[in-house]
Amino acid sequence: MTFLQWLPQMLEGCLITIKLFFITIIFSMPLGLCLTFLYTSKNMAVRKIISFYILIMRGTPLLLQIFFVYFGLPYTPVIGKYLTISDRFTAGAVAFILNYAAYFAEIFRGGLLSVDKGQYEAAKVLGLTDMQTRAHIVLPQMFRISLPAVSNEAIILIKDTALITAIGLSDLLKVTKTIVNKTTNISAFLAAAVFYLIMSYVLTIVFKLLERKFSF
Amino acid sequence: MDQLIKVEHLKKSFGNVEVLKDINLDVEKGDVIAILGPSGSGKSPFLRSLIDLNAVDGGSIYIEGRALCENGVYPSAKEKRSILAKTGMVFQHFNLFPHKNVRDNMLLAPLLAKQGTRDELNKKALELLKKVGLAEKINEMPANLSGGQKQRVAIARALMCSPDILLFDEPTSALDPELTGEVLKVIRDLSREKMTMLIVTHEIGFAKEAANKVMFMDEGYVLGFGTPEEIIENSDNVRIQNFFAKIKH
Repeated sequence: MTFLQWLPQMLEGCLITIKLFFITIIFSMPLGLCLTFLYTSKNMAVRKIISFYILIMRGTPLLLQIFFVYFGLPYTPVIGKYLTISDRFTAGAVAFILNYAAYFAEIFRGGLLSVDKGQYEAAKVLGLTDMQTRAHIVLPQMFRISLPAVSNEAIILIKDTALITAIGLSDLLKVTKTIVNKTTNISAFLAAAVFYLIMSYVLTIVFKLLERKFSF
Repeated sequence: MDQLIKVEHLKKSFGNVEVLKDINLDVEKGDVIAILGPSGSGKSPFLRSLIDLNAVDGGSIYIEGRALCENGVYPSAKEKRSILAKTGMVFQHFNLFPHKNVRDNMLLAPLLAKQGTRDELNKKALELLKKVGLAEKINEMPANLSGGQKQRVAIARALMCSPDILLFDEPTSALDPELTGEVLKVIRDLSREKMTMLIVTHEIGFAKEAANKVMFMDEGYVLGFGTPEEIIENSDNVRIQNFFAKIKH
């Protein structure tokens, strides 16, 4: 098997990796934002629930969570059959989204805390409603403050996607391992490393541009 | 006689600390009132309570005849917004919106309140910026302005809603000494135009020259209220005399 023979397989693996990356980002960021706002609510019970959720998601391995969603949920007593996600990719994506939402919630909460209280006061004396203040003053500043941490999290995510290999999906890592077994040659591993590097690098550039665009 | 603000028996505590004990004040149209006194005397909490940044515990505040607070009871948020629509405030730390340029800082609130079309408001913003001497900065981001320029933009922003009352909370305290003059000049111009203003300040000279009344606060009480000469030069209250004596030397 030559390089040109296994390259298409690797690219296909990359596609699964990239697909998982985007699906996780697209769903976990808004979900994380909702968690942040729920956490800032005045209701004590809601805050307790959110912080318990974040504790579980950050305090246990993502790999365990993936296994739990794919292999574990069907064994839930009574309602197990309704919780079964038979598609491997969907199950993996659900675990990733739930896990990353917790991290994004914490990142956004940090951003929210960094918005100066003078900003709320200025908005208030100018007659803005609470909703208007949130939409026009707080959120844009929160996103800007959070951007470097979000960028960091996104780069971690691109590498974390390799974990779905464990439930048998043909992502970049899984494909690479198969090729190495067939070719008894280390080069596929090196190629995979380069693919991951390129993806991380592109992300780094994109976030740098975003940071520059939204600098103030 | 047009009474713009009436304050009766205002009380306010932060935890166990009573910062406003029994404040009474009448503000007439065109008054420029300098609020002076040692730090911790309750000047800022008092000013902030007039625009609902601090909720008071007791007493009443009437703005242009409408009750912002009556015996410590406030109306709905919407009602408060309507009562305070013609009251503006300028802060010590400017509080410009850092993610918006000067124009958008000025246009945001009036656009949201539908006080005019973008074109009309744009024109108004430019006029006000000319008045504070910053017309050429209309597209600048706040981060690119000096402290004095930021404060002048903040004043122009407060003027966008054509306020009847402007409150200033130590408008020059965060500025380098050489930049205070440009901000005080803008406030002085406003006083010539008969803008009603309440100014918490440490600039005694400015208070003497620009204010028609001085309110002296200490430990949550109003110790003196009168013309600048009466309070700053000729007060018979020992605490007031001591305060100004210390500042002069």
